[in-house]
Amino acid sequence: MKKSKLRKGEAAKLEMTPMIDVVFQLLIFFIVTLKQEDILSHLDVWRPAPDSRPPPETPEDLLTITIYKDGYVLKGRRVSLQELDRQLTRLAGFSKSISVIIKCTADSPHKHLVRVLDVCAKCDLRNLSVFSM
Amino acid sequence: MIRYKKKVSEYSAGCEIDMTPMIDVVFQLIIFFIVTINMEQNYKKEIVLEDAKNAPVIKNPHPMTLVIEVDKRGWISLHGAQVTTTQLRALVQRRYNSVGEFPVLIRGDRDARHKDIRKVMDICSGVGLWKINFAAVKERKT
Repeated sequence: MKKSKLRKGEAAKLEMTPMIDVVFQLLIFFIVTLKQEDILSHLDVWRPAPDSRPPPETPEDLLTITIYKDGYVLKGRRVSLQELDRQLTRLAGFSKSISVIIKCTADSPHKHLVRVLDVCAKCDLRNLSVFSM
Repeated sequence: MIRYKKKVSEYSAGCEIDMTPMIDVVFQLIIFFIVTINMEQNYKKEIVLEDAKNAPVIKNPHPMTLVIEVDKRGWISLHGAQVTTTQLRALVQRRYNSVGEFPVLIRGDRDARHKDIRKVMDICSGVGLWKINFAAVKERKT
């Protein structure tokens, strides 16, 4: 079929225009609908057994942060996030291996915990335990 | 080779590229992308994660990671399917029995109460999984 056509000198022309139109439409559709995914970070913590109580506090290598509904308490003192950041940076300067115990009250929002964990990650503190109150 | 050259010289005026295989391949690719894009996004859209700019990014997450979602109403779900705490406990226990230790990632909404996050953490630690990851956003693209 093709051969005979070619012999006659007629080029078997394939109509490209509609196909290119469709392919470009699809391409534009995918570019528009492509949603850039947010880059996720992972904060890892240790979770002790459900019914174990927090270990007795020893001041030298154990740091307790309590998270309430409306704020943070570090060593019995109410602090803002910036204050907490400063304190932890100072403490992490002495030793990176200090254990941090984070106690959360039941009605504290999850974002407070994530913020505290973020500050700990910034200070390169790895030994984090989360307790619930 | 010789035959090919002969053909070219003979029919050079009417020689056309056969487009059919290319169109086949392009459509295959398009269909592949349509299918895979829909497969990827099966997390709950309504969960808003909190920002954590300093936390490390996991490039290649463990393939056995169990992602547990907690929305702001405190509902627990796995890949968009809501589960009760009893179901979740049974599921985590079964998985632990068959594959041993696996990482747990909690996608908690920024406004979720700690008591709901706690339920998930208690289930995991009750089974014997002490290490828990929280997902947060390093960099927002949207």
